[in-house]
Amino acid sequence: MKEQNNIDEVQEPINSASPEVRQIIERVWDLEKSRLDKKSFGHINDDILAIVKEAVK
Amino acid sequence: MKLTSIKLCNFRSFYGKTCELALAVSHLKNTTIIYGNNGAGKTSLLNAFTWLLYEKFSAAFASIDQLVNKRAIAEAKIGQSVECWVELAWEHDSKRYRVKRQCRVYKHDNGIDVGKTELYMQVAGDEGKWYLPPQLPEDIIGQILPASLHQYFFFDGERIEEIVRSDKKAEIAEATKIFLGVEVINRSIRHLQEAKKSLENELRLIGDSEIKKLLKQQGKIELEIELINKRQREITKELEYQNTFKKETSKRLRELNAAKKLQERRQELEKLKASNQDNLRHTRETIKKAISSRGHTVILSEITAKFREIIEDLKEKGKLTTGISREFIQNLLDSSSCICGTSLFEENQARLNLENWLEKAGSSEVEETAIRMSAQVDEIDKQSALFWETIDKEQAQIGHLRNAIAEIEVELDNIEERLRKDPSEEIRNLQKRLDKIEEKITELTLEQGANQQKVINLKTDLESLNKQISRQKLNEEKQILAQRRISATQDAINRLTKVKVLQEQQFRLQLEKRVQEIFSEISFTPYIPRISEKYELTLVENTSGLEMPVAASTGENQILSLSFISSIIDRVRDWSQKKMLMVADSSTFPIVMDSPFGSLDEIYRKHIAQIIPQLANQLIVLVTKTQWRGEVEDEMSCRVGKEYVLTYYSPKPDCEQDFIEISGERYPLVKQSPNEFEYSEIIEVERE
Repeated sequence: MKEQNNIDEVQEPINSASPEVRQIIERVWDLEKSRLDKKSFGHINDDILAIVKEAVK
Repeated sequence: MKLTSIKLCNFRSFYGKTCELALAVSHLKNTTIIYGNNGAGKTSLLNAFTWLLYEKFSAAFASIDQLVNKRAIAEAKIGQSVECWVELAWEHDSKRYRVKRQCRVYKHDNGIDVGKTELYMQVAGDEGKWYLPPQLPEDIIGQILPASLHQYFFFDGERIEEIVRSDKKAEIAEATKIFLGVEVINRSIRHLQEAKKSLENELRLIGDSEIKKLLKQQGKIELEIELINKRQREITKELEYQNTFKKETSKRLRELNAAKKLQERRQELEKLKASNQDNLRHTRETIKKAISSRGHTVILSEITAKFREIIEDLKEKGKLTTGISREFIQNLLDSSSCICGTSLFEENQARLNLENWLEKAGSSEVEETAIRMSAQVDEIDKQSALFWETIDKEQAQIGHLRNAIAEIEVELDNIEERLRKDPSEEIRNLQKRLDKIEEKITELTLEQGANQQKVINLKTDLESLNKQISRQKLNEEKQILAQRRISATQDAINRLTKVKVLQEQQFRLQLEKRVQEIFSEISFTPYIPRISEKYELTLVENTSGLEMPVAASTGENQILSLSFISSIIDRVRDWSQKKMLMVADSSTFPIVMDSPFGSLDEIYRKHIAQIIPQLANQLIVLVTKTQWRGEVEDEMSCRVGKEYVLTYYSPKPDCEQDFIEISGERYPLVKQSPNEFEYSEIIEVERE
């Protein structure tokens, strides 16, 4: 039970975010995860900018 | 990731295609055992997995440039190529994957050339239809199980302690950070900060809003216009008053006998002056109208002259001759009959005559247009003459009116002068008053005109200001959006930073706890595994009440390594089931272990054999007969779902044959090769 509480606590900053901020976090997370194996970060800034601009219109 | 089958072709010691090795996947019987003697190809099989997935090899895998089976190369003819491949199938996240990596060698007189390796992937969803993935196969594999983590799932058990060696501390710390999602959070934060900088630069480019300043200016101008308009209304009233006053004064002057005559004359002259001024305005209007309606005819004279030249030229060349027209002749030719009744059939003389005329005759269409245009050009010239006539007349009229007005003014001045000097004081005073009124009226009229001009100028300023304001409003919207984006990015950074701190504390401690539990279950030592804040994995003891690092043996380090791997699988599975932002969003991990129990004592082998099949979702173990027999077999056999034997064919003439007995059946481990090559085959063990 205590562990479950702790896990919820870890996620709290994301769960309590506004929908647009949550969208940014989740999409950036997925992007970074998919690039974890890549050594070069070319275009990542553009991709992240696109995520932010799409989330906040 | 659940591995379902593997098949090899000419890969290292495996000659030709092997059978497809189906791998154990059920929940309880999740273990596949592959038996083989030293040198039979266990390490090759382990490396078949890592080569296919990541093009990487384990440390014990010698001569990586000799991937292709030697017998296959020897049997190939010069100029032929030999292919070598590994095909692996797995399931992940409700999808099935079939992946093949192949490379070719080309045989020539002096040896072989090795080609590049190629990776192919096909994916099938729930509906079972196979398709090519939209991303690169390497990227998909990296997303399912990152290459940097592969050594924790595909490993050589005899060297597994290396992952916790002191010089590998940084590597395992990095891997742990990746497993726990910390690395992804770090990168997300770093890249969001970069994105925020770009957004701030964009905001700077939009520029600071001047809208407040512009609105202030707008208000000021509007107020100024209002004040002027108010003054204009006052002036109008004042002028009305002055004019009334003037009338009354003039009336009184007329009532005085001595001034009556002069005053009446003055009024007459004033009327005449006003009428002349009216006429002057009217004349000027007439000139303006003439310029705007007919002024252009004056500058067309050169063009009309040129037009006439062209027409004359055409006439001279006979192209505008009146008489018979080209269209008329063409009609006769088309109907093949003349108006006189002569028929104009092909090649007869009459027709040829007529065709000659066609060359000479002018076009009636051109002629008509020329006539129409000539009339228009004549009209232009006429208008031009009329224009000059009007202008001359009106200019003369202006001169005349100006003279008349000047004469009237002189006479008026005289009358006024006489009145100013009149012997009667009353008359003199009344004239003085009239002079003052006139002065006032002039002053007010001038002010009125100046004010009108001021209002026109202010309105022009206001118009351009309004345009600037609407432009700024658009900018302001852009600014607000850019600012919203910046603050959303900052909020995301703040929240991720919080998650990172919490995740680091929680996950690291939970992982450490699990490593400790598993380690203590296997080991009989009092040592305690620790994961430091830098994610370094160490073994400590605190028998003296003080925590001290342990100089652990190879065996202890092997247990520590296996405990770490098992804990990672166990925790990541648990967290991903709770929908945490985990790196591997899968609850299933395979472990492929080569010779896992090499240097361990009996008791440790027993514990590990007991624990690993429970913690890993799927286990593939490559063992020798001696590694398997005894406690390992006792603990694991209930978990075994699939078994295979690697048979080594030795070209050595007097080689000692070996076999393994499974379920009452003998399977060959070493056999005499039928030729001069050594190679291996894979046989499936079939149990009742």
